Amino acid sequence: MKLLKIGISGVRGIVGDSITPKLVMDFAAAFGTRVGGRPVLVGRDTRISGPLLHSAALAALISTGCDVLDLGVCPTPILQYMVPRLKAGGGVSITAGHNDIQWNALAFINEDGMALNPFQGAEVLDIYHLGKFDKVSTDRLGRIRDVALYADEYFDGLRAFLDGGRGPGRRTRPGKQAPGEWRANGSPLGGGAIAKARPKVVIDACNGAGAPFLEAMARALGFELIPVNHEPNGFFPHDPEPRPRNAQQVVAVIKAVGADAGFLLNSDVSRVSCVTETGESLSEEFTFPLVTAEYLKDRCGPVVTNLSTSRMVEDVARERGCPLLRTKVGQSYAVQALVQEEGVLAGEGSGGVALAAFQPAFDGFATMGYILQTMAVRGRTISRLAGELPRYHIVKEKIYCPPARIHSVVSEVKKFFRRQEIDASDGIRVEDKSGWVQVRTSSTEPMIRVIAEDKAKNKARERVDEVSAFIRVLVQ
Amino acid sequence: MKRVSSLKISISGVRGIVGDSLTPQLAGALAQAFGTYVGGGPVVIGRDARPSGQMILQAVTAGLLASGCQPVDVGICPIPSFLFLVKDSKSSGGISVTASHNPKEWNGLKFISRDGLYMTPHQVEEFLDIYHQGDFVYAGPDRLKTLRSEPQPVEPHLKKLLCRFDADLIRRKKIKVALDCGNGAGALLAPRLLQELGCETVVINAVPDGSFARPSEPLPENIREVCRTVVKSGADIGFVQDADADRLAIVNEMGRPIGEELTLALAAQYVLGKKKGSVVCNLSTTRAIDDIAAARKAPVFRTKIGEINVVEKVLAAEPAAVIAGEGNGGVILPEVHPCRDSFTGMSLILEYMASSGRTVSALQKRVPRYVMIKDKVEGSAEQGYRLVSLLRKKHEGEGRTSLLDGLKIDFPDHWVHVRPSNTEPIIRVIAEARTQEKAQAALRRIKKEIAELKKRL
Repeated sequence: MKLLKIGISGVRGIVGDSITPKLVMDFAAAFGTRVGGRPVLVGRDTRISGPLLHSAALAALISTGCDVLDLGVCPTPILQYMVPRLKAGGGVSITAGHNDIQWNALAFINEDGMALNPFQGAEVLDIYHLGKFDKVSTDRLGRIRDVALYADEYFDGLRAFLDGGRGPGRRTRPGKQAPGEWRANGSPLGGGAIAKARPKVVIDACNGAGAPFLEAMARALGFELIPVNHEPNGFFPHDPEPRPRNAQQVVAVIKAVGADAGFLLNSDVSRVSCVTETGESLSEEFTFPLVTAEYLKDRCGPVVTNLSTSRMVEDVARERGCPLLRTKVGQSYAVQALVQEEGVLAGEGSGGVALAAFQPAFDGFATMGYILQTMAVRGRTISRLAGELPRYHIVKEKIYCPPARIHSVVSEVKKFFRRQEIDASDGIRVEDKSGWVQVRTSSTEPMIRVIAEDKAKNKARERVDEVSAFIRVLVQ
Repeated sequence: MKRVSSLKISISGVRGIVGDSLTPQLAGALAQAFGTYVGGGPVVIGRDARPSGQMILQAVTAGLLASGCQPVDVGICPIPSFLFLVKDSKSSGGISVTASHNPKEWNGLKFISRDGLYMTPHQVEEFLDIYHQGDFVYAGPDRLKTLRSEPQPVEPHLKKLLCRFDADLIRRKKIKVALDCGNGAGALLAPRLLQELGCETVVINAVPDGSFARPSEPLPENIREVCRTVVKSGADIGFVQDADADRLAIVNEMGRPIGEELTLALAAQYVLGKKKGSVVCNLSTTRAIDDIAAARKAPVFRTKIGEINVVEKVLAAEPAAVIAGEGNGGVILPEVHPCRDSFTGMSLILEYMASSGRTVSALQKRVPRYVMIKDKVEGSAEQGYRLVSLLRKKHEGEGRTSLLDGLKIDFPDHWVHVRPSNTEPIIRVIAEARTQEKAQAALRRIKKEIAELKKRL
């Protein structure tokens, strides 16, 4: 069985199995054809297979007549930030984010620096399936150029944003204020607050694309960096998924050096999870509510999340009187809704957060920066900030299912909830007063995910167990 | 006449038109098939100066990585240095991104075996089987290698040349050289080699950027600029390289091209004067080689047209070949490396001048004089094949005939060679005699016969 996921925002698979040079070239050529000869930014994380996909994508992009601006090893949010600033027609980020070393993927970025929205993604897929790629003659082939010093531009922008300037946010239509734009002149959080507090911060980049950029971030924002797994060599010491089970090293270091906070990153810095100064490893579900609780104090606006994310953020938004929208799982859907609804924040329980006033992209640097800024300005420890959030218990389960049957199995779960109202916009979701349960297909693996949340831990576990038992029977 | 296909996958490699048949997908798949064939390990990759080289090289890199090989990128590199490096670095093989003399919209791949030689026809067949069957190795992340760059790919070759030739002797003579690299890859080594040999050098067309300032083939009509440079600068000799630096043409101190056929003849005259052994060259190479070899009682082995055929005979010749090559300016000195090498050619000629103390025109006079005329008539490969068999019957018993490649008939005072081309729908007709008139007459005769026979096809 080949593991390959072709989706609206890119293509993801196992290298040497479904990810082949031909597949990568065909997709990159389809994307280049859609971009229509404008320059394309290309970056990658540190995976061993990165150079393979990188060469294949470069060859195909320039064969369609697009110039390539090569960023080399580059976190996806920084690539996204640079796309509009370099006036590119789009970007290709070569990363499988939180998946293990076997995987790699192409993530496509549009000219605004956002994940392709579902319509744009469908266009690329159509061109791919049609197989009619632009092929230009020798004289019109694209050229490959390296881009220098872009990290400085990015971190200057991030510092300006955190210090309360208008921030070089996403481009807006003239005469219209961007959603979530800072209202006051000067920062509600106070300029240079992180530098004044100079916190000690432990960051585990998992030897991924974040590693070469963290020193620049620490310099720009003024914190003391204590790096863990800081060699961008593509050997992942643990799964590059920011979550408590991967946090042992950070926890140990925090205790040893008496640090103020700890963060875990995925391989392209689109997701973050947090560890408190006491060495408690917070679930990745905390990242988005931690940002939201403070952010909505200064500007109210719609908050976007997906159907699998904790109710924590729902409670926080309700308390501030801001509407909450739920979309299908995936950055593409969340960010599309963020822009369309003129929202202020989008985020997912997996640790990805987009701050619209900075850029409409899941951005681990901006997320870490905002949390550190909140700690500094409010003079609170991260454990205190986390303690202010409403507590829920989330239980998640993965069940293997052959890809050919995966959607019909999920659909059949409807029978389990005969008496309840079903939300079917992403898998099957059922909600009641104390919690909810959702069954959906993984977007990256041949797995069915069962997620339940409840105020009471045993209740959440119960919900998952009941549904999982039902699904296992269906799969067999 | 049938249109020539814009894609040619053959035993001498792959060639196609970029933006049409030669896609990154095709180049990547071929490279992956090659990587599968050689079974992993380092594979040297490089390119000529064509603008599409970068695109194809990226695709080749991806294909090799996918097969679990380690690509070693030498960038733009002269072919002889490239071949030498493959062997010297103990690599598993090499892929050169080049389309030799095709116009610039073309590009292609040439495949090199671990001994630093172009793959033999049967090796290419084995590897093409893998390509056609799509039976590739797909390495998983645990077996993937990384790309390596080799910033100094010409060093081993240069070192070899400097220790093989008498550099001190050449240096003492302070020979003045006009050099035309034709904006090809030769510019990366030739000026340095000449400097190391103590030559005062005037270089033209020395930017290896693929902007061919003149047609790449170093034929007399294409090299007038360097002839003028020789005269203006008072140089002792002019050297002209083709785009990938395997062929060499020579201009004498009076600014006259000596003719590309004479490059090998001069080299053979020098080498055979010093060393015992045989000569290998193809059927169409000048008869001057036979005369020079006969004077030294050295046997001459003739082969089919194509560098690979000459090289295969070099490797198998008994007595061992001491000099080999082609009449198009390709000199092979097996002692350095069994491939056509313009740098070896330059070093040989300079050493010849230095040790004999003579000018190029003086050396040129000692080579028996022949005039060769190359012509062609229209005709498909199949027509050519049938013509050759009709001609053979007609000329049975006359002269000495060879059927190695088309039909070659050696008469006491001249020879003719009729050969269907394998790259274009034409039949090549070549004649050589002592004088222009005799060569022309021989050519006229054979062309008239062909015209008559064509009517009967």
